[in-house]
Amino acid sequence: MLASASPSPLAPGDAGEGATREDFLRAFDRARVLRTRAAGRPARLLWLLAGPGVLVMMGENDGPSMVSYATTGATYGVGFFAPFILLTFVMAFVVQEMTVRVGIATHRGHAELIMQRFGPFWGYFSMADLVFGNLLTLVTEFIAIQAGGLYFGLPAWASVGLGALLVFASLALRRYATWERALMALAAGNLLFVPAALYAHPDGAALAHALATWGPLPRNTGAAFLTLILANVGATVTPWMIFFQQSAVVDKGLTRADLPQGRLDTAIGAGIAAIAAIATLVAAAPLFGAHVDVSQFVSGADFATALQPLIGSTGATLFALGIIEAGLLAAMTIATSSSYALSEVFSANHSLNLDFKSGRMFFGVAVGSTLLAAGTVLIPGAPLLAMTLTVNVIATLLMAPALLFLLLLANDRFLMRDLTNTWRGNLAGGTIVVAISLIGALYGIITVFPDLLGK
Amino acid sequence: MRYDPAHLAALEPDQFSAAHRAHLPRRKLSRGVVVLLVLLRVYVLLAIPVVAYAFIHAL
Repeated sequence: MLASASPSPLAPGDAGEGATREDFLRAFDRARVLRTRAAGRPARLLWLLAGPGVLVMMGENDGPSMVSYATTGATYGVGFFAPFILLTFVMAFVVQEMTVRVGIATHRGHAELIMQRFGPFWGYFSMADLVFGNLLTLVTEFIAIQAGGLYFGLPAWASVGLGALLVFASLALRRYATWERALMALAAGNLLFVPAALYAHPDGAALAHALATWGPLPRNTGAAFLTLILANVGATVTPWMIFFQQSAVVDKGLTRADLPQGRLDTAIGAGIAAIAAIATLVAAAPLFGAHVDVSQFVSGADFATALQPLIGSTGATLFALGIIEAGLLAAMTIATSSSYALSEVFSANHSLNLDFKSGRMFFGVAVGSTLLAAGTVLIPGAPLLAMTLTVNVIATLLMAPALLFLLLLANDRFLMRDLTNTWRGNLAGGTIVVAISLIGALYGIITVFPDLLGK
Repeated sequence: MRYDPAHLAALEPDQFSAAHRAHLPRRKLSRGVVVLLVLLRVYVLLAIPVVAYAFIHAL
């Protein structure tokens, strides 16, 4: 039987009775993993099992995140914030490692588990948080695509339209493994910020000193400093990441035997994403040296334009391309995160291995949310800057309840058995919940009362 | 690629899409957990209007 026949499910009496296209494609990938493990090829095995961790971490290096890192570099230079960004990625690893374990132990998505274990009351609240946050974040990804396009002289309708088409094209692959590899290739574009940083001729010794000593500390530590602290945290851990990675781990078919590779995938993703984030900080640092006021900048395109005389047109072009890539990759992963979660909640089929007919809801959610977000960006006079800033605040606020659900699931012995959280995991996770809650509260307060801590 | 039924042996029983039709039992939440969930819900419900205010203020 050929793939084009799209048997979902197979006809009764067939050897794979009841199995769907989704099952066959996942089984094909799993068979390859089992053969590779049996052949004792660890590097090849890691290559086959990597993906969800790299994509979630690189996806979170999205448009607004890169603008946050650039704003930080332009405002404070390289110093305290280089190790701070590294710390936020350690935090992201702690959170995302839990999603890998929960996904592997249960073979079920995050939304599905919340709905079934905690009931519809908490399930719908959780979904409302996710859908609300994801839709707003998706809008900001198209703002980033539009901003990057403007740097190259593309009109907004062209860059946003092209971005939406590419998101649809990724969904049209209808195969998890192909989708994942295509997005990983796109994610490599996040490293464009590394050569952009090299064009800024950074002082390697100063960067090493900053990473080792957390210094020099900024002189001005008022509201602007605190806002950037909070924005950088919000740029690294957000609710969509939890839902996305757990569902992707399940869709890919990872099992208990794959846990070491799942963890390594997440650690590699965090490491690469941290390098790209710090490179963005370094690339924008010449604006700090030139005393450029970035407070009136609207988007990543403004950074690229302002950097042109300082790091050259090649460096600035790489920066603008990086902003487009950041928005595009995140648009693909965030739209898919919404698809997984909503389909799981409504017990609809949920997999990137589905055909369009059996995955109407799954693909419909991604297409609908993409169209809505892209359309919002094209509304004349839409408050794009205010939206970008607000999305960061909302993501941080919604993270605390999302993390609590994750911790509860990771401690659910009925589900997790030998993969239940250890006390160390709970201490780390609990500390992050408390820290994120306090940060979110503080972020909200200084957003409403910006003069509370002085300028 | 062929849809080879032999490959299906590579899947664990609960990795089949049909396994998702069986729902998991509801967990009984302790009072402490419910209080935490309610507190965080109140936190979000209080914070969102604050953010909405900030958004409108920034326009």
